Amino acid sequence: MIDTSILILGLFLLAFGGFAVYDLATAKRRREVYRVKSTVTAYLMLLPAVLLAFLFVLLPILYSLGYAFTDYYLLKPNDISFVKLENFVEIIEEISEKGMLYNAIKNTLTFVIGVVPLQIGLALLLALFVNRPCFGSKIFKVCFFAPVVISLSVTSFLWLQILAPGEGGLLNSLLGMFGIPPHDWLRDPETAMPCIIVLSAWQGCGYQMLIFLSGLSNIRKDLYEAASLDGASRWHQFWNVTWVGLRSTFVYILITVFIGACRILTQPMLMTGYMSHTVTLSYYMYNSGYTKRLVGESSAVALLMTIFIGGITLIQRRLFREK
Amino acid sequence: MDKFTQDLPNFRPNKAPVRKNVKEIVYYVVGIILSLIFILPILYMLATSTKGEVAYAESVGTLNMFLPDLAHLGIAFENYKNVLLGYDIWKYALNSFLYAGIVIVINILVNGLAGYVMAKLVFPGKRLLSFLIIFLIVVPVETSIIPLYSIVKIMLGLKQQMSVLGVILPASISIFNIFLFTQFFQNIPKEYEEAARIDGANTLGVFFKVIMPLSKPILATVAVFCFIGVWNDYLWPSMILPSASDGTWPLLPIQTALTTIQSIEGITTGEIMASLVITSIPIFVTYVAAQKYIVQGFGTSGLKM
Amino acid sequence: MKRLFASITLIMLVFTMLLGMVSCFGGGGNGGDGGGNGGDGGSSSTDSEGNTIVKIMFHVDKSSTEGQAYQKRINAFNTAYKDQKIKAQAIFKARSAGASGYETELMNNQLEGTLADIITFDAPNTAAYANSELLYDITDLISEEEQNKFFSLNMYEGKLYGLPIQESSAGFFYNKKIFRDAGIDVSAYTAENPWTFEEFKAVCARLKSHGVTAVDMRIDATKDETAPYLLYPFIYAAGGSFVSADGLTAGGYYNSAATAKGFQFIKDLISAEYTSYAIGATDFFTGKVGMYLSSGWTIPDLDNKYRENFASRDDWGLLPYPKDVVAASATGSWSYAITNNHHTDKTAALELLKWMTSPESSEAITNATGMIPARKDVVKNYEAGSPEYTLLKQLEISGKERPVTVAYPTFSTTFNQVIFGLGKGNVSDLLNSAKNTLQDAIDEVKDR
Repeated sequence: MIDTSILILGLFLLAFGGFAVYDLATAKRRREVYRVKSTVTAYLMLLPAVLLAFLFVLLPILYSLGYAFTDYYLLKPNDISFVKLENFVEIIEEISEKGMLYNAIKNTLTFVIGVVPLQIGLALLLALFVNRPCFGSKIFKVCFFAPVVISLSVTSFLWLQILAPGEGGLLNSLLGMFGIPPHDWLRDPETAMPCIIVLSAWQGCGYQMLIFLSGLSNIRKDLYEAASLDGASRWHQFWNVTWVGLRSTFVYILITVFIGACRILTQPMLMTGYMSHTVTLSYYMYNSGYTKRLVGESSAVALLMTIFIGGITLIQRRLFREK
Repeated sequence: MDKFTQDLPNFRPNKAPVRKNVKEIVYYVVGIILSLIFILPILYMLATSTKGEVAYAESVGTLNMFLPDLAHLGIAFENYKNVLLGYDIWKYALNSFLYAGIVIVINILVNGLAGYVMAKLVFPGKRLLSFLIIFLIVVPVETSIIPLYSIVKIMLGLKQQMSVLGVILPASISIFNIFLFTQFFQNIPKEYEEAARIDGANTLGVFFKVIMPLSKPILATVAVFCFIGVWNDYLWPSMILPSASDGTWPLLPIQTALTTIQSIEGITTGEIMASLVITSIPIFVTYVAAQKYIVQGFGTSGLKM
Repeated sequence: MKRLFASITLIMLVFTMLLGMVSCFGGGGNGGDGGGNGGDGGSSSTDSEGNTIVKIMFHVDKSSTEGQAYQKRINAFNTAYKDQKIKAQAIFKARSAGASGYETELMNNQLEGTLADIITFDAPNTAAYANSELLYDITDLISEEEQNKFFSLNMYEGKLYGLPIQESSAGFFYNKKIFRDAGIDVSAYTAENPWTFEEFKAVCARLKSHGVTAVDMRIDATKDETAPYLLYPFIYAAGGSFVSADGLTAGGYYNSAATAKGFQFIKDLISAEYTSYAIGATDFFTGKVGMYLSSGWTIPDLDNKYRENFASRDDWGLLPYPKDVVAASATGSWSYAITNNHHTDKTAALELLKWMTSPESSEAITNATGMIPARKDVVKNYEAGSPEYTLLKQLEISGKERPVTVAYPTFSTTFNQVIFGLGKGNVSDLLNSAKNTLQDAIDEVKDR
């Protein structure tokens, strides 16, 4: 392992060197000036971060993605062999047979499509709500952030009680007051994913609210005054001043929420267990890697997922890049 | 200005104060209802920590879940006393504080320096590193814990007491924090640095004497999230650290003590919740104390991805 | 030009990644890179005083009652074997949520070359661990006479790989007050003479007409091992099974008519509204439900925690599993096994294994945990008809272990999926899909 790691380090440095030479070669065309002193300083100051990142971030990721081409079985860590694309063939088979992986992809997409707008919308509304200078807003802000830091076991137990089937469930007894019959929210394929979407948005939106708030604090107040002098309605003020000012914050939030949503794992795990109507890609990976102990197969899915998320992220950056 | 007009309502047109008060009341009512929705788990945790097993069992599924058992305050006292005195919870808490402190310092130094370089210096190979930063934020890391273990234990040979480094070092590097620092430093005007350079400071001097003092918001943000991360981390330290042996100070952090408490035979739900309340307090205090800075930390940077 | 350079760099990056992969299986060949530490040449490890060191790893926390009981037995071993210069060292790694933490730990130790000489493991993992050559074959090391003294053994392909630490069983806890009020007499149903599926339904019907929910079958506990552990005996009782005797075939077993009959019985209970997915986890303890399917761990809870609702054992009792074609009841245990680690000399490990499974150890440990001893020759004088007596007798007469298969965790997953879908789904559809999933998993891991 030490030998290969050194080899990877060498290749990494080689790749970096190649790119650096390329940068130097094209410096003139890009009107960039490289100075020896500043370059050496930069490399020295980067060294600790690069060293740690190489050892504890890059190397584990490369290894685990590399497992995608092996038959790594968790119980035989000393007996791993190269199987070329076998894992990927199995993935394609499972998708075409509409097996669990197919459901995982479907549910993950449903989740992403549902949670991204909901969570961002909620976060923005909450941010606008507390963005005023009064005592109450400070307390509200703390409250809205609370689910982000509370232990997952507590929040998930609470949601299990809220969504409990039968008349004993909190939501069902609330709806019962309006004569709506009890519903088994998490067992019904129609409602399970929406419930998980809502509870995830509830849990996470406090964090994005903070980021929106910081975006709001950056918008100059005189822009609003100018707009109201021009007789703009509140809606126009929001659209032309607030929204424009929040644009880069929004892109940042969109990308991070999207990446987080693609990786959803704990909520379905704690709410329903490994069931076809709520399984997600990360849960599928967890199950094949740890429960079935097929690390190779799990890594192959991880590799494909990385490519997918990376691709979409690039597209998002292109689409929303500031002109 | 707001204060001034509030104190002197008579200077405003007659109808306005009434309308304003109504608005104010609506604002608070809506705010309180929304807040309740978000702090339900805290209410549940606090309420349950005051209950005995039977009272708890009877409250499940009703609104009493969120109301404390005020009739038997002795039970609440017992729950907290048992948790605090029965287990050496403070030893583990001290470990966590210590780890978090070290991680925060290293994290800020290492990632701050890297962020500064990425934001302010020009060097060949920079574009590859920017790409790598985004790439590493994107990849899922669910299975990378297996090779990470081998790297720490076999390659670096961090065993027994040294395995503390295996907890601290991986937590000290955060690609995401490098990204945050870069974004923040990009917005600090050049003039500050140039003034210091004229006075003869070198790059490292500029970083410590000029950049750092200007960066309190982002430092607070990173520190708070480091603290929350280390405080809540459970699986990795329990894998990497040796388990407690008699007569020596344990190396494990607070979350492992918490799971141990929860798995003890005969422990009541109330006691479990009391232990959760106790271990959540530091996180809440840190967050509330630093929240002003957190907003600024994200704010002035005008995050760009 | 720019594109050319960019693509060259990209290719290099990809190459770097491929190298990571090469290293994975390359690392396999020299897996001992950092292993073999402790300075031993492979036969056994010794300390400075010439004592042979035997390491044993437990799945519980040291400060727990169970952990302390283990530690006491280890200390006693060290005293007894002082002259023979064998010294046992206990390692405690509390099994974290999801149990994968403990297993990951085992595998990491295996990779490091620091795997303990004896480990504890959950019995259903026997097949997978033995198949991966993690466990040492002890068939010839434990005499047949000794083997016969255990309620259950950890066998795979006819060979013995482990001995249980202690046993557990489950049954139906019932609320005697509710039963008295409803005029139901269940005194005839004992472990020696269990009730039938039909009698079970009849009791449920009377409870229902009395106005209480009849039974909490725990069909909502499908996120972990709870539902499989508590409900699999119903399938065996109906004459069904899950896999072939060699553990390699699911078709014709998991989807057989008899298996379907067992699941259908549970489905009938749901259809007749005797049980449901909507029963709260604490409903039995607050007197809303007549019967509660649970393991022996609920006994101390009822004795201590719910005094206000269950003042004494006059208020609650325990009924055995109902039988159909045969009687079957749940068993489950964690076991000890000698590992196939780098120590080739297993003499000392065998001494420790024998010590830890001896009648004295068995008695000491079960006295601490309140569970059933693994050995038949440890006499516990339970009063006839008491809950403990019922569990012990039931284990003796009808205890049947969970299916032995290399893909056990997937068996659990499929079982949970069947129970989850039972309310609305068609039994044979559910079982066919479960059979396919399990068969795929078996095929994927059997040759690894």
